[in-house]
Amino acid sequence: MKINILIAISSLFLTIVSCKQNAAKLPILGNREVAANGKDTIYQSIPDFNLLNQDSVYINNDSLKDKIYVADFFFTSCPSICPIMKKQLLRIHDKYKDNNQVAILSHTIDPKHDSVPVLKKYADKLGVSSKKWHFLYGARDVIYNMARNGYMNYADRDSLAPGGISHSGYFILVDKNRHIRGAYDGTDEKQVSQLMDDMDILLAEYK
Amino acid sequence: MRAKIISIAFSMLIICIFLSACSENEVKYQRYYADGSQIYQVHCQNCHMKDGSGLANVIPPLTDSTFLRENRKDLACYIVYGLADTIVVNGITYQTPMPAEKHLAAIDIAKVLTYITNSFGNKQGIYDVKEVEKNINNCK
Ligand code: HEC
Repeated sequence: MKINILIAISSLFLTIVSCKQNAAKLPILGNREVAANGKDTIYQSIPDFNLLNQDSVYINNDSLKDKIYVADFFFTSCPSICPIMKKQLLRIHDKYKDNNQVAILSHTIDPKHDSVPVLKKYADKLGVSSKKWHFLYGARDVIYNMARNGYMNYADRDSLAPGGISHSGYFILVDKNRHIRGAYDGTDEKQVSQLMDDMDILLAEYK
Repeated sequence: MRAKIISIAFSMLIICIFLSACSENEVKYQRYYADGSQIYQVHCQNCHMKDGSGLANVIPPLTDSTFLRENRKDLACYIVYGLADTIVVNGITYQTPMPAEKHLAAIDIAKVLTYITNSFGNKQGIYDVKEVEKNINNCK
């Protein structure tokens, strides 16, 4: 288990470093295992999920199977880094507005406050629709577990942090096979530009 | 001739005094503005953004000079007590509450207000600490 975490962290670090070089193909991040046949590699993939979006529609791996997407974790009343992350996600949204191979998934980590109607209102204020950008609602444990085990992200209760909940500001890039292809600091404009470059590289794989 | 020299010297003295007083105010303004920029980065920028542009219809921009001028007396109150009204900035209605920032001293509020009212396209001069102290006593 410890080694898995070590691999996850070091591969995360590696992408951030390797992103700087203009790689023709993005690496696959996360844990990996050798398949039973001894040849193929099995990569970590986003586990099954089924979560409501702001329009009360269930979103799952199946509804995303023809899309690459960017995932993040936030909450609407967050006074610290969330507004910056949303501003950066808006850049991504605007760039890929007319590309239906791209989606954005923002998971609330504060389901107590961020009910589906609250998420709907927030999405409306941002001026975005669920055609492209899903604001996902799910039970705390489910979301936290997804963050930690699915996206190698980090979200935990911390009453001392501003807004009561601390969380990483990472944007995770996921391909059409549910594999993680990049992790970027969502509060850093430059890294988000890198993410958009990488999204173009990833989209080119499907041409 | 002598009178002429005296009067020239005198007027130069006046000019010097005037210039130095002027630059003293200028120095104070520059100090307020520079410190204000730091305070802005720590306490405001996460929401209102580096360029003061805010976030869509969630967080208002600080670019509406008319709004800032018309509500100049209340700006310090927004910071100390927060703001939960429905407000119109640049023609857009906002109603997300802004949390109170109780940890800022009057002098720091003066500096950050000097910064925002002279950045992002605004040019409204220094917001003195005395003005802040007076306005805070009159918060609604
Ligand atoms: C947690 C996010 C947040 C932070 C931090 C924050 N604000 Fe605000 N601010 C808001 C929101 C939201 C509003 C709109 C309030 C409303 O609709 O009643 C607002 C409104 C304002 C307004 C009036 C409207 C406008 O845009 O001119 C000013 C001035 C302002 N803030 C200045 C500041 C200053 C200065 C700081 C730092 C000391 C600061 N804010 C920190 C969220 C924030």
